[in-house]
Amino acid sequence: MGSLVVFLVAFPLLAGGLLLGVRNGNLRNVIVVLAGLVVAGASIATAVTFGNGNAVFFDLPNGLTLGRSLLVVEIVIAAFVVAVGIHYRRILAPILVLGQLAISLYLELGGKTPELEPGRLFWFDRLSMVMILIIGIVGTLICVHSLGYMRGFHRSSPMIKGRRTVFFALLFVFLGAMFGLVTSNYLPLMQVFWEITTLCSFLLIGYTRTKETIGYAFDALNMNMLGGLGFSIAILMLSGQPDGLDLARLTAGPATAALLPALALLCLAGLTKAAQMPFSRWLLGAMYAPSPTSALLHSSTMVKAGVFLLLRLSPAIAGSNLGTLVAFTGMLTFLFVSLVGVTEQNTKKVLAYSTIGSLGLIVGCAGLGSPELIWVGMMIIIFHAVAKGLLFLVVGTIENRFYTKDMENFDALLSRLPKVSVLALIGISGMFIAPFGVVVAKWTAIRAFLDVPGWQGAALLVIMAFGSSLTIFYWGKLLIKVLAMRPMTQHERSIERRVSRFEWLAEITLAVGVVAVAALIGVISERVVGPQALATFKGTSQAFLHVEPAMLVTMIVALLFLPTLALWASRQKRYDMADFYAAGRPVTSAGVMGAALGGVRTVTLRNYYLEGVVNGALVFRAGTVVCGVLLIALLTVGMLAR
Amino acid sequence: MNPVVYGVLFVFLAPVFGGLLAGVDRITSARMQSRVGPPLLQPFYDLGKLLQKDARQVNPIVEPLLLGHVGFMAATGAMLLGGTDLIFVAFVFALAALFLVLAAGSVNSPYSFAGAERELIVLLASEPFFILMLAAICKVSGESSYGGVLNSAVMVAPKLPGVLLAFAFVATIKLRKSPFDISTSHHAHQELVSGLTSDMSGRLLGYVEMAHWYESAILAAFVVLFFNWSVPLGLLAFAVTYGAEVLVDNSTSRAKWQLVLRSTWVVTLLLVGGNVLALFLIK
Amino acid sequence: MSFFSKSPWILHYDASSCNGCDIEVLACLTPLYDVERFGIVNTGNPKHADILLITGSVNERNIDIIENLYRQMPDPKVVVAVGACACSGGIFARAYNIQGGVDKVLPVDVYVPGCAARPESIIDGVVKGIGALEQKRKKSA
Repeated sequence: MGSLVVFLVAFPLLAGGLLLGVRNGNLRNVIVVLAGLVVAGASIATAVTFGNGNAVFFDLPNGLTLGRSLLVVEIVIAAFVVAVGIHYRRILAPILVLGQLAISLYLELGGKTPELEPGRLFWFDRLSMVMILIIGIVGTLICVHSLGYMRGFHRSSPMIKGRRTVFFALLFVFLGAMFGLVTSNYLPLMQVFWEITTLCSFLLIGYTRTKETIGYAFDALNMNMLGGLGFSIAILMLSGQPDGLDLARLTAGPATAALLPALALLCLAGLTKAAQMPFSRWLLGAMYAPSPTSALLHSSTMVKAGVFLLLRLSPAIAGSNLGTLVAFTGMLTFLFVSLVGVTEQNTKKVLAYSTIGSLGLIVGCAGLGSPELIWVGMMIIIFHAVAKGLLFLVVGTIENRFYTKDMENFDALLSRLPKVSVLALIGISGMFIAPFGVVVAKWTAIRAFLDVPGWQGAALLVIMAFGSSLTIFYWGKLLIKVLAMRPMTQHERSIERRVSRFEWLAEITLAVGVVAVAALIGVISERVVGPQALATFKGTSQAFLHVEPAMLVTMIVALLFLPTLALWASRQKRYDMADFYAAGRPVTSAGVMGAALGGVRTVTLRNYYLEGVVNGALVFRAGTVVCGVLLIALLTVGMLAR
Repeated sequence: MNPVVYGVLFVFLAPVFGGLLAGVDRITSARMQSRVGPPLLQPFYDLGKLLQKDARQVNPIVEPLLLGHVGFMAATGAMLLGGTDLIFVAFVFALAALFLVLAAGSVNSPYSFAGAERELIVLLASEPFFILMLAAICKVSGESSYGGVLNSAVMVAPKLPGVLLAFAFVATIKLRKSPFDISTSHHAHQELVSGLTSDMSGRLLGYVEMAHWYESAILAAFVVLFFNWSVPLGLLAFAVTYGAEVLVDNSTSRAKWQLVLRSTWVVTLLLVGGNVLALFLIK
Repeated sequence: MSFFSKSPWILHYDASSCNGCDIEVLACLTPLYDVERFGIVNTGNPKHADILLITGSVNERNIDIIENLYRQMPDPKVVVAVGACACSGGIFARAYNIQGGVDKVLPVDVYVPGCAARPESIIDGVVKGIGALEQKRKKSA
């Protein structure tokens, strides 16, 4: 078991290193696909080996020890960040990273690091297994997709210098670091992987090296490093406690007052990584990176690291003021970003807001902690990873074909890119029709909130009701755009043929994944997520595990309805269709109509963005302020808990 | 009796109920306007005619989407009476409404599209209410299915006065009454022509009518939930509410969508939020 | 059983009428005449309508419009020309832009004379139109 996990971590890192030396495009395609297959295969093998078992702990195989290796890596990271900071004249990141390094040096060289019980370096349980599968399968599909996508990306933006060797190397290093993160038990070990992912995201966001993206990349770097610094300080505080750096022991049950300050800082790290308010800005900036980056960061990996940590911390913070504050931070983030999402026209940003919102729900569940809520959190992680990953890839493909991110230009997708539309519909339906965003997880969350006592329960219910309705609005708008139909010229119909086979492969596989996960929800619930939830919080009621057949049938039907419809409709060759009503004016199918006095007008249709009722920018700022205040309260409560 | 039987009965009987209700509505409105009005069964005649008429289709997906709309609406009611979890039913209800939006939105006509967008806004306005209403009913009665609530010893309405009041407010939206009928109208030449249904004809329009009848029946079923100790009282309460709606419809003109959204959310937040808060605090 | 006689929906269009006949048509909807008793509804939308009530003598610009409206109406459908102008152009028949009656553009089923046509005549005309509607349905059935 241990060797498999170490292989999972080491192999992508090595593959990434190898890719740095490969300049030939075709050779790169081969290596990426092969390496991807190996990674995916290894993930599945690890999951199968683990099977239905209980949590396992292990060290590095063959008697290897960490030694000073962690410190070495940290020094390299710090040097890089300082160099980059100097080059771009940004001071904050170097300060933060040097702060982290200073703490590590103090602990390592001052001999303050406590002894970890042997055999507890890594921790593998069902949650790790779920994360491994997501990273391994969705992650590699994104890498494969990028092979096709990046070709189109560079063709449409010739002024951007291609550095694809670095890009693909980074993708694999990213995957390796994520594998390490979700299997670490020793906090300093996890922190190193944490920082590697921060660094990778910085490099990926800044890929195009335009002034804009450099700014966004540094936003991400600063915010995540702030969390990382919190992580370091937490380690410093915990190093004085027995078993303080053993994550499993730390979170076995409700935390003592002495541990709360450190836990508060760990929560901070989780919140920054999960782009919760007030830190949401970096994730929105990441939308300016190439789509695979967005997909990787937002659906299958990096932000999931944040909620992963919070789910791990859940048993320790649930029931305390700290936990409640964390929960409200998450739920209010959900509410605020859903409101902003309604006013947004850029499709990738809408997807980003949706992601932050879904993560907010998971954070809410983690903060409150109960078997049902852990169940909800894990279900959202699984389904969101697959469906949102698919959507980002699809939007990337559409972008490349239409050269636009504006939702208003996505219309009549069903006519222009029929097959891609079917995949988009699976993704969107997956996000909010079938057992995903709206139905099972939110429904279970509402049931769980009903049991939360006092005003907190009422507040959470109200937040959930409003937030959930807002998501229906923007998904509805997107769906309308996709489903509009118009007869197309031959040229317009031929655009779809230029989508590369890598893109098709990745997107179709993910679409199949969405349907499979929906169909298997019963199995997933009873064999994987349920037992994990019950192991995390000792609960007696098993009722929530079981998904009623009537509900399952409804959900599958709902999920498959729109894509099937789209598939059928796109095949209708000729249809004797009536004109649409345009006040009696003669109108062509393209919407050109004869207007009054011999004039000519074109019909243009535009979605509502609730201007005049909701000011998107204002709401975003309000959310940042409100959650900022909550965060300060969170840290204060944590610090004063002694 | 097995709740599933009720569910099946709903599928067949709800349209009859809805149609008769629509007939009563038209007669009452006519009398309020000093007219005589059509015969009671007029809505059924209308439906019959629509089914016999040609359907001029503007694109191939409108019909399947409308079938989805009426299908899921029937399913919502069937699941509601059939004993499925109440909160799940709220989500299916929203899904059914969404299909109508998609059907109208897929047409490129400005009237149809604007109607679809406004219908989406109306869905946005009313959805928080329905989720909170059903959640509150579950909390108060301690049950999660329709039959369970009806059999519960707890009387729901006295504990949820705020929610009940808000229901009367929000029901105006679902019943397509002024001032909230911003997305479609049954009258001639309103500012969006026929809004949502502008480009639907023949049997397609028939599906929309049937779905609306199912919706009325579902709303009646919701009111009965409040008066869970006496079904006849519940139906009476629904009749009174409906009568009030008709009166409001005939005395007000259409509001702008901004007002619809704001007012509904404020009412939901204050009346329902307040009621729910009280529920959680007074235990 | 045919429902058309029980639920005929009309679309009313003013093709350059002086509005006299239009006011009479709208008067039919008022409590005094109340055509809703017969299930008649004035829809504003050709796709919902069975009977096209046209007033006014048709001018050049109207031709496209009424052809479009007629085409959008689903079958079976009838056209009722209301008022002297719609029947034959009325007193405007010789004007340079007037076509001279609806039947120069569309197939008319019922002519309702009068200037302005009385509500009683209009209702009578619509009833005859319903009869024509039934006949068309039987033919196509």
